[in-house]
Amino acid sequence: MMSERPAPDIIMTARGLTLRRDGVTLLDSVSAQIRRGSITLLLGHNGAGKTLLLNCLHGLIACDAGTISGPPLARQKMVFQKPIITRRTTSAHLRFLCPRLDDAARHDWLRRAEMDRRADAPARMLSGGEQQKLALIGALATRPDILFLDEPTAHLDFAATKFVETMVCQAHQQGMTIIMTSHNRAQAERLGEDVLLLDSGRIVETAPADRFFSAPSHPLAKQYLDHL
Amino acid sequence: MSGHISANLPENLQGACLHQRTTSMDILIPFQIALLLLTSGDAELMGIIGLSLTVSLTAVLASLVIGLPMGALLATYRFPGRTALIVVSNTFLGMPPVVIGLLIYLLISRSGPLGFMGILYTPAAMMLAQTVLVLPISIALSRQAFESLNGEYAPLFQSLGLGRFDRIKALVFEARVALLTIGLACFGRAISEVGAVMIVGGNIRHSTRVMTTSIALATSMGELAFAMALGIVLLLVALTINIASQLLRQSFRNLGHDV
Repeated sequence: MMSERPAPDIIMTARGLTLRRDGVTLLDSVSAQIRRGSITLLLGHNGAGKTLLLNCLHGLIACDAGTISGPPLARQKMVFQKPIITRRTTSAHLRFLCPRLDDAARHDWLRRAEMDRRADAPARMLSGGEQQKLALIGALATRPDILFLDEPTAHLDFAATKFVETMVCQAHQQGMTIIMTSHNRAQAERLGEDVLLLDSGRIVETAPADRFFSAPSHPLAKQYLDHL
Repeated sequence: MSGHISANLPENLQGACLHQRTTSMDILIPFQIALLLLTSGDAELMGIIGLSLTVSLTAVLASLVIGLPMGALLATYRFPGRTALIVVSNTFLGMPPVVIGLLIYLLISRSGPLGFMGILYTPAAMMLAQTVLVLPISIALSRQAFESLNGEYAPLFQSLGLGRFDRIKALVFEARVALLTIGLACFGRAISEVGAVMIVGGNIRHSTRVMTTSIALATSMGELAFAMALGIVLLLVALTINIASQLLRQSFRNLGHDV
């Protein structure tokens, strides 16, 4: 995959990303530009290719064709839909995610997530919401240039969802670029600045979020919003 | 066997050791002898137990040090010769200990390629034989454990940009409970082994005699009750180690391990 320097206000550029598996085209010539410091939403029905595109952009999956230019992997972080938690204590897991974080900073992040009292608890024994919060602060604490979030609030309760959204907004205000997928229209409208709508592995509409939600131009976008 | 360890037993049990050569064995006698052997603190018996543990634990440690990284490598990376390595390793799983003993014997005997080391009929030779014996277990079981964990952690490790060494290090750490079980499986195989250590160790009194070779010798001399008593002692040693590992496992379970 060839890498080239993007324009100053563009932090990541994808051109012609194509991914095939077992004769099926999963991503079909996907091209996109991600604005620096923006919150970009990847929307689409189940199986549209949102998570695949997220994984490709982050570099977890190598595409069969196309190019991606952006910051190095070390400057990117990803929070998975189902958090991947190690068999360590909460504090030790956070240390594993951010080895350079000192004890005080680690404690501060846990306190912000209201998990400082759970620092010595086994991380895998935390609730689903707590695990997701742990994964999120583990990503944010490294202050990446780009943060990928794959449906970060799926299956979370109101309080945990609010925490995630607050942290995302704070990171955005500090200039972090965020690329996320969501099935929650209200959340998408609250957080999104740019929208990429995927259908069957192809981008069918790219638009600023307010325009996308108020006046979508593509018939599939209208259809998608009717179902959302 | 009579004439050394069993000579320290009370007269009635010494008699039992000999008497049962010709009559059916009283089922309780081996237990009585085992209890007496353990409580008497017989120096020779303690030496035999100590040597058994030293040889087997060293072999297990060596096999884990070599086998775990190999298992992790086989589980996480594709490289030329990988399949051949797996096939060879799996073949050695079913290799009879006496054949391994014979191979090691040929290697370390005076005229063998490693004859210059002069370790034939020493505990070092027994450790080497047992290491070769349990190494395939260590590789096969750790590969299985690492494959499962790697499937779970690969996206995270990749996202964190971990290099090959750091990935294997993290996997070994995450697999620590499974590795405890692997260590126990290796220990079980090593401590109960008799053929290979008999060939390369020679079962020399005060030098290379271990629990299993003592049992084999006692059996060949017809001291079945005494052999059985040694077997019970061996079982108790294994039981103690298993209880210790179970306690360790419990503490891991408290850290959220799926054990």
